[in-house]
Amino acid sequence: MAPFNPYTFIQCPCSDSSPLGRPADSNSPTGSEPEEDERTFDPRAPRSNYSLYPLEYLLYCEDCHQIRCPRCVSEEIVTYYCPNCLFEVPSSNLKSEGNRCTRSCFQCPICIGPLNVTTQETKPPDPSLLTAGNAPHSGAYALTCSYCNWSSTEIGIDFDKPNGIHAQLAKIRNGGEPRLTAKERKERRKELSHRGDSAAVVAAREEIDGQALDLENQFANLKAFYSSQLADPSAGDNGLSTLGDLGFSSPSSLSRIMSLYTGGKLNDNKAKSRLGAMREALTSDEGLLVTDLDESALISQLHLSDHCDTASTEQITNQPPNLGEPLLHGASRFTSSLRPIPYLLRTKRSKRCPVCRHIISKPESKVGTTRFRIRLVAGSYIPSITIKPLVLPNPSGGSSSSNVGDLLTPLTPVHYLLTFKNPIFETIKVTLATPAATPGRFASKVTILCPQFDIDANTDVWDEALKDNDRGDKSSRSSGSHTRQRRGTEAGLQLEVGKIWERGRNWVSIVVEVVPASLRLEDGGMLREDEDVLEIAMFVRIEWEAENGGDDAGISSAAVGKDRDQKEKRELAYWCVLGIGKIKQT
Amino acid sequence: MSRRPPRGEYIETDTGNKVARKATLVGTQNIMLGGKTVIQPEVMIRGDLVRSIQSSSTSSSGGATPNNTAVAIGRYCFLSRGACLRPPGRLYKGAFTYMPLRMGDHVFVGPGSVIQAASIGSHVYIGARVVVGEFAILKDYVRVLDGTVIPPNMVVPSFTIVAGQPARVIGEVPEGGHEAFELRDLYKTVGNNPHPAPA
Repeated sequence: MAPFNPYTFIQCPCSDSSPLGRPADSNSPTGSEPEEDERTFDPRAPRSNYSLYPLEYLLYCEDCHQIRCPRCVSEEIVTYYCPNCLFEVPSSNLKSEGNRCTRSCFQCPICIGPLNVTTQETKPPDPSLLTAGNAPHSGAYALTCSYCNWSSTEIGIDFDKPNGIHAQLAKIRNGGEPRLTAKERKERRKELSHRGDSAAVVAAREEIDGQALDLENQFANLKAFYSSQLADPSAGDNGLSTLGDLGFSSPSSLSRIMSLYTGGKLNDNKAKSRLGAMREALTSDEGLLVTDLDESALISQLHLSDHCDTASTEQITNQPPNLGEPLLHGASRFTSSLRPIPYLLRTKRSKRCPVCRHIISKPESKVGTTRFRIRLVAGSYIPSITIKPLVLPNPSGGSSSSNVGDLLTPLTPVHYLLTFKNPIFETIKVTLATPAATPGRFASKVTILCPQFDIDANTDVWDEALKDNDRGDKSSRSSGSHTRQRRGTEAGLQLEVGKIWERGRNWVSIVVEVVPASLRLEDGGMLREDEDVLEIAMFVRIEWEAENGGDDAGISSAAVGKDRDQKEKRELAYWCVLGIGKIKQT
Repeated sequence: MSRRPPRGEYIETDTGNKVARKATLVGTQNIMLGGKTVIQPEVMIRGDLVRSIQSSSTSSSGGATPNNTAVAIGRYCFLSRGACLRPPGRLYKGAFTYMPLRMGDHVFVGPGSVIQAASIGSHVYIGARVVVGEFAILKDYVRVLDGTVIPPNMVVPSFTIVAGQPARVIGEVPEGGHEAFELRDLYKTVGNNPHPAPA
């Protein structure tokens, strides 16, 4: 079993349907208001999963003075780039080329490792050939995966040039046959029709028609066909238009429907309303694709193949849509029909506060840099909470030796140290509250021994650095201890209610006593998922005095306030969940 | 050597490197440490796998001293017990040669990991029992979870969390997670006079 690491999750206020401190008025009778006020947060509620985040994932809006989570911020894409070649892709290319890298970056269709272009070794490696700069002949390059040794030659694809693989691949089908794009197909046909009707030309035309349409070509053909139909409404008028005005097959009704969505003028189209119905595509040139329902070839191929020859669901879903899929039906059942996957592009995104629309995180637009122009993370505004088991050396011998990751013994009190670290440059006053028993079927008892305390300000970082240097010179462990006040040790390791356990420059440790519940069920039922995890919901309220306007942490981007002397009282309150450990099942 | 009466577990250099006496460093003249780097026991660094063919630009200039660095490590790196750094090698113009392995600052390499990357950026966390294949490139702020196998030639862009065999992108490093890559505090916790880990 994986060891249990204590964790602290913080609830983002965005998921709270009713604002804190105010009772929900819509769905609660007025009589229960005081009860509503004492409403506590249940970490086991199904919805809680979606509102709890580790501190690192949270941002902070300086204008709203509120925590923002990944779920409530709105994102804007700053840059698109390929994660493999790290080239930026302009958004104009994105519209025409799609959201994948069009250079030579591909992933293996079998294992999704990266593919690289290699020369195919046709001759044995011979040192005497070192100087012979033999020009690579056609088909000299292939894509190979250095993780699973897959090679594009397995699906009959090789390349003439080592660059521009994406363009080359678009012209080759699996097996090495050339693949015509819709445009090429049309040009080829036009060329043939100019040459007359000799037997060779007819054969060549049949060859073009014989090539099965793939999804891309079919769509292109259909689109061309229908747009020509719309442009030329008289074509294909079959005289039934007077009856078929309501049908969807007439260009007029189609354009009327389209205008409903695009907001075009309806009256304009009324003029054409008497025009006839469109005809449907009739040839493959127009995008007609006769579905081949005869799958006996596939079935016989399945009979002959191993399990490993068939593509897994994951492999199929990783395949880029449309690219060279032979048919709409029966696509990619075998690994031999999989194609190299061009890398999906990645983005750099900036984030906005959902309420005030201020930007709270903005990376530099260049792909290579990792700096941020704006980065208002919650970690530099609200205290971090770390959990550590507190081991009390018990004189009677029965020491509660609890390590991180150990299972908690039911009904035996254990103590945990919660260390709060203040990131801001003001002294903060922290008030904690927690329900005396955890919610759920197994109520563990929780007592915070010191629910109210002050944490000193986070002084300048240079003070800390200088202090550390001093400490390093003396190179003794004890010299650092004058900065700390070990109340616990001074008091002879006695737990005192209302006393801080230990405090440092900008941090305070307090003790929480937990009596884990017994996980025994009377009816002998089974535990539900994660019911043995002891989670404590804790309400944290921070108060501090901030300089008016000028904001609290060093990375503030807001304008400096006019009257700096004036202090303003601020407070922030939120729920958090402390994951303490797992209770032993007896 | 005898000036220091109690032989500590680590050799601490003037630039603040802490190298365990039980670490195996081969070809030390080809290993560059940026300073304040911790090398734990049983770590192996293969500085002997040096580039055998100089790139055409340096060889044509003639008089310039050949750059023989096999492994270059930045500041505040931490190589855990049993890690192995091995420069990658490949055929170059028909002959086999090794290429230098470069590592930025604040790189943590977990116990038992084997690194054959071409370059690793700064603020990179590599977990335990990870294999980084030859000529892989890890950019800045990358987190590699335990047991990952990064295939050769893979590029892992910045702010990426990867895991799996072969490695695939499983998440993004959040904005607030940048400070967790700092290894200054971890540096202080090892050595001959270690400081206790901060709260």
